[in-house]
Amino acid sequence: MTWTDEELVAKSIGGDADSFNQLVLRWERPIYALAYRTIGRQEDARDVCQETFLRAFRALPGFRGQAKFSSWLYRIALNLCRDWIRRERRAPVVQPPEDVDLIELAAAAEPSESIEDLVARKDLMRLVESAMALLPDEQRTAIVLKEYHGLTFQEIAELVGCPLSTVKTRLYQGLIVLRRELSKNSKAER
Amino acid sequence: MTEFLCEYGDDRDGAIVAFLYDDADGSPGERTRFETHLPTCARCRADVAALRGVRTQLARWSPPEPIDLRSTINNQHARWWRDIPAWAQVAAALLFLGVSAGVANLDVRYDGNGLSIRTGWSTRSGVAQSASPANDAPWRADLAALERQLKTELRAIQASSRPAPAQTVRAASATDADVTRRVRALVEDSEKRQQRELALRIAGLLRDVNAQRQSDLVKIDRTLGVVQNSVGIEVMKNRQQINQMDLLYRASQKQ
Repeated sequence: MTWTDEELVAKSIGGDADSFNQLVLRWERPIYALAYRTIGRQEDARDVCQETFLRAFRALPGFRGQAKFSSWLYRIALNLCRDWIRRERRAPVVQPPEDVDLIELAAAAEPSESIEDLVARKDLMRLVESAMALLPDEQRTAIVLKEYHGLTFQEIAELVGCPLSTVKTRLYQGLIVLRRELSKNSKAER
Repeated sequence: MTEFLCEYGDDRDGAIVAFLYDDADGSPGERTRFETHLPTCARCRADVAALRGVRTQLARWSPPEPIDLRSTINNQHARWWRDIPAWAQVAAALLFLGVSAGVANLDVRYDGNGLSIRTGWSTRSGVAQSASPANDAPWRADLAALERQLKTELRAIQASSRPAPAQTVRAASATDADVTRRVRALVEDSEKRQQRELALRIAGLLRDVNAQRQSDLVKIDRTLGVVQNSVGIEVMKNRQQINQMDLLYRASQKQ
């Protein structure tokens, strides 16, 4: 039987550690992905993800279900990302590999994907990462939450604490910057 | 480039984004209005198409696979060893080695036969027992003191462990095994690090040797070129002299 997040939260509060493990299992990847796309560093994203769940676990008794569990978790993760960025005092930098590692590429290859396709895909990912790293925090957060986590504008507005129209404007502006950067980089690559 | 004018209004950006993501939060009225506007506005159509392209590219960005993510979240206690500062780990390793040396009845000596280290419960030699303190170097005294201290500690450990129940002994041996494993891991790490450093140094050395070789080859090449050049000049001079002599000889023959 599949329990809902809210049911698992209630069981966890009641002292069932396995329920919290199930929540971790369910949400660790989205939270890690959010952290990675926001701060751009694999190791730090992992730390943020870990810390998010630890904080959530500690604060679980105080969770009253005013928001969805996932929104609550996202908020904790975003706050941690914000702290991380503030602490680092610099724009987040996604670390692209210096050169293409064929062994890694071969390991990551889809069965039907040729090495050329794979290199092209990796290149595109690198371009996107670099372009995303140029965005201001609030635009990047809006795009990440919308594009990769499928949150509604309203949910994003509540999560980041700004009006709905501001979320849309940030998304639009972010997409425009990405469009410019991606087309610039694509031309440079050719 | 042609710049199209759009007369949609101030909330154009929001309307484009809401249309692009087909978000239910956008008011239906706004969406209908934009959908009516879109066929009439080339600029909005171009923007929507371009931003859809951006979204397609964004969809291909996946974060790298997290390494042992769940184990780091669930097994916090497994990190305790790594959380201990390096100095404390070193101290623990040294303490372990000291205790091990005591347990192993370590006997270190340096004499006419060179350095010798003996372990085990072997019978002490009479020479060692009768060594005169007057003849000992200061370090020998230190070593003897260390040996005495280790023996005392060992006796104390043995005395304290004797009356302990079997369970405690098992726990102690388990702890020892644990510590041994950790120290072994530390030693392995250190060895790996040294191997890496060695490999790096060898690579650096090979690079230097190769660079030097290239440089020498270039020098040899240049020197050979110079030599060949000078030899060529000499040969030419000799040929000219031979030609001149030949001419003189022929002229003298004619006369």
